[in-house]
Amino acid sequence: MVASPQHEFETQDLLINVGPQHPSTHGVFRMVLTIDGEVVKDVVPYIGYLHRGAEKLCETMDFRQGIGFMDRTEYLAAHNAELSYVMAVEALAGLEVPDRAQWIRTILCELNRLSSHFMFLGAFGIDVGVFGTPFIYAWREREAIIDLFEEISGDRMMYAYFRPGGLAWDVPLNFKERVREVLKSTRQGIKDFDELLTQNEIFRARTEGIGYISAEDAIDWGMSGPSIRASGVALDVRRDEPYLKYADLDFDVITGENGDVFDRYYCRLMEMHESVKIIEQCLARLEPGLIVPDKMPRMLRAAPGEVYIRTEAPRGEYGIYMVSKGGNRPYRLKVRSACLSNLQALKQMSVDQYVADAIIVLGSIDIVLSEVDR
Amino acid sequence: MNNSLFGFEINVWLDALARLGLIVGVMTVVAMGLIYGERKILARFQQRIGPQKTGPFGLLQSVADAIKLVGKEDLRPNAADPWTFELAPYFVFIPIFLGFVSLPFLLGVNIRLFDLGLLYFIAVSSVNIVGWIMAGWGSDNRYAMIGGMRAAAQAISYELPLVLSLVTVAMLAGSLNLKDIVEGQGTVPYIAWLPLAFVIFFISTLAEMNRPPFDIPIGESEVVGGPFVEYSGIRWSMFMLGEYASLWILSVLTAAVFLGGYSWPFGEDLGRGYQLVLMAAKSSLYIFVVFWVRASIPRLRIDQLMSYSWKILLPLSLAQVLVVGFVRVYELPDIFLAIEGVFGLIILVSLTGRAVASNRRLPGAARTMRSEAA
Amino acid sequence: MKGIAKSLMVTLSTFTRKPVTRDYPNYHRPLPERDRAFPLLLWDKEVDEPFCTGCHACERACPVECMTVLMKDNPNHKSNGGDSSRRKIIDKFWIDYARCMRCNICVEVCNFDAIAMNNTWQGHETSVHDRKDLVMDLQQLLAQSHGGAIKEWVPTLGQANE
Repeated sequence: MVASPQHEFETQDLLINVGPQHPSTHGVFRMVLTIDGEVVKDVVPYIGYLHRGAEKLCETMDFRQGIGFMDRTEYLAAHNAELSYVMAVEALAGLEVPDRAQWIRTILCELNRLSSHFMFLGAFGIDVGVFGTPFIYAWREREAIIDLFEEISGDRMMYAYFRPGGLAWDVPLNFKERVREVLKSTRQGIKDFDELLTQNEIFRARTEGIGYISAEDAIDWGMSGPSIRASGVALDVRRDEPYLKYADLDFDVITGENGDVFDRYYCRLMEMHESVKIIEQCLARLEPGLIVPDKMPRMLRAAPGEVYIRTEAPRGEYGIYMVSKGGNRPYRLKVRSACLSNLQALKQMSVDQYVADAIIVLGSIDIVLSEVDR
Repeated sequence: MNNSLFGFEINVWLDALARLGLIVGVMTVVAMGLIYGERKILARFQQRIGPQKTGPFGLLQSVADAIKLVGKEDLRPNAADPWTFELAPYFVFIPIFLGFVSLPFLLGVNIRLFDLGLLYFIAVSSVNIVGWIMAGWGSDNRYAMIGGMRAAAQAISYELPLVLSLVTVAMLAGSLNLKDIVEGQGTVPYIAWLPLAFVIFFISTLAEMNRPPFDIPIGESEVVGGPFVEYSGIRWSMFMLGEYASLWILSVLTAAVFLGGYSWPFGEDLGRGYQLVLMAAKSSLYIFVVFWVRASIPRLRIDQLMSYSWKILLPLSLAQVLVVGFVRVYELPDIFLAIEGVFGLIILVSLTGRAVASNRRLPGAARTMRSEAA
Repeated sequence: MKGIAKSLMVTLSTFTRKPVTRDYPNYHRPLPERDRAFPLLLWDKEVDEPFCTGCHACERACPVECMTVLMKDNPNHKSNGGDSSRRKIIDKFWIDYARCMRCNICVEVCNFDAIAMNNTWQGHETSVHDRKDLVMDLQQLLAQSHGGAIKEWVPTLGQANE
């Protein structure tokens, strides 16, 4: 008996189940990878583990009560999430927000963007495989920002500080000095990250050319935020449809060219420099004044109608679609979550990559599962 | 062979038992010390404090951990192969401990000095890969299987540069007896003559120990611990013990083979105390660098790891063997070796740089207004 | 290789910096006065009774319905020969800390400034073995203010401070 020379190995694809309990799924996300050796052939994402029905809950709550739930849809950048909600309410109720409140909102949103991006850098560092160092560095910087938020709003993550019409209460008297103090340490933190990761050859080898998505595909998938800007699409709600005081501010929209993991990382890093720039401009122009309109109605009632408000949250376009039939609560509320749309491109980005790369592709779109599932 | 242990004439079997007990006892204590040291040092690299609650400065942390691990239930998955699963830790742990036998700690302080000590060490230390594969295959877990396969591939690839760089040392010393090798460096340690071999050896030992940046088999963020994923309690602690024991053994070997062991720079007549300090300083330097690398460098991907070994390290170490051969055969001056080594290092660095070089433009302020176009 | 060397230098420079760890259970960071832990009730020291009249405003405004309020006639009211101006006063009050989402709304709706968010460490360290123990009754809610252990911060909504 002679073995047939055409005989080949019978190989079989392996299914591995990454999540919902896995260190690098950033929450309770599950993806089933079909792998051939070390190469990913298929990705099936499963979401919904963190679904709490926040949108439906908000329909039973009045506008003030809903703010707390919006915080919890996007817990890493709660100020940004609140902002969309209160702007939608303001649009329906026809409230004019005073200047001072707008400046403070801008500062807090940008600070929140910084803290959220630090969180990304830290978690991404772990995904790439540095043992905890970037994570702790990120935590160190984020802690300073969060302490500041605590001094202002009283809470470290779920601020409930923006209110329809303006702010709940005024910032402390030493606000400007404290922000400058925080920015100083933040700048040092960004520099540390830049030196620790950006130039590192192994980091470059791991991230360049991985998880590519073209500008056209990114647009088709409805991606937004740094994830789409890395593909070369200069899409930034802050610049395209200025809200708050962004029209008066001077900042750059950072775009990459390659649409890979490295560009998504570096876009975020550069964006942090822009955020610091924005905050400094805001601080220079922050004047004493009112923080809610003069004629604030005692009972907040929205006019019938519908409104879609979008803002640029750290992860992309965070939109609120709100229908009102009058009264003090939304008739229908829908959150347009940036993470959900960005996550759709996961399969396209991670097929035909190595298993290790599928993990960092997931890390690079910086998902917050509570925002995906709501 | 004499059967004297510390000068007492005893029965052969008793002697063997005493030596075994010595190995296991010393090894366990040292491994626990190393775990404590690693946690403290890594903590400082990350601006943390590290363990500090158990005992003075947290010194008893490892003891507490060991007690906890021993007290834990020894779980075995239902579908795991009982024999393979339960024997695997021994196959990892025993070969590493056997490597301890031939190491020259101080002048005259060792378990047994063989004439073929280096060969013995190399032979014994590569057996533990069997244990890794058994652990990966036997636990009936896909993460573990991927991890086990990765471990096998990695160990085979990095065994060769490791051995070849040790071969150059043996060629220079003209002996495989570790005592002779140490004493051959009485005036100048081999790192001066063989810098290239030392660097290759260092990189390969990192891979042998599955230490970052080569911790691909363990890969916390991808395969969640690789072969160990199903282990718990005492069996898991045996893997850990093996890992830290091999770290210590390799540090002592590096100190002995490349850094002049107990003899350089003061010679062998200064007494055991000096030798102990010298040896401890040299091996702790090695260990510190290993921890330092762990704190700063991301993990490689499996294909990058393999190609780095086969395409860069192996050819360079072969060339090194050739050059050392020429120098020995034609009795060229030793300085020639040092020059060659420095050149080799430059080649290594530039090759490594070329392998990951990228002259791409970094993301920056928006250059195109794609959002309007699209 | 330059980049790797740079990374190594960053970590080495961190090695020499002072650790930023706060040794938490041993060291309690001073909390800002606006810090929000869980809500508690305040004690009126002048007439020696709670501020709360049990008006149910907070109970109705609570988004997660974690409060239960019962009111009673105030035995200490002037009509009964007492020295209090409160006709009604709180009888029973429960807050389920496990449900509370610390949104501050109860503080904002209270017309008597009778409820405030706990801004001491005691409010944060509420771990218990049983969820039932997180349902605080009137006694527990008043204890801290009655003992004078709290300097509460009740925001004046929408008022600029400059």
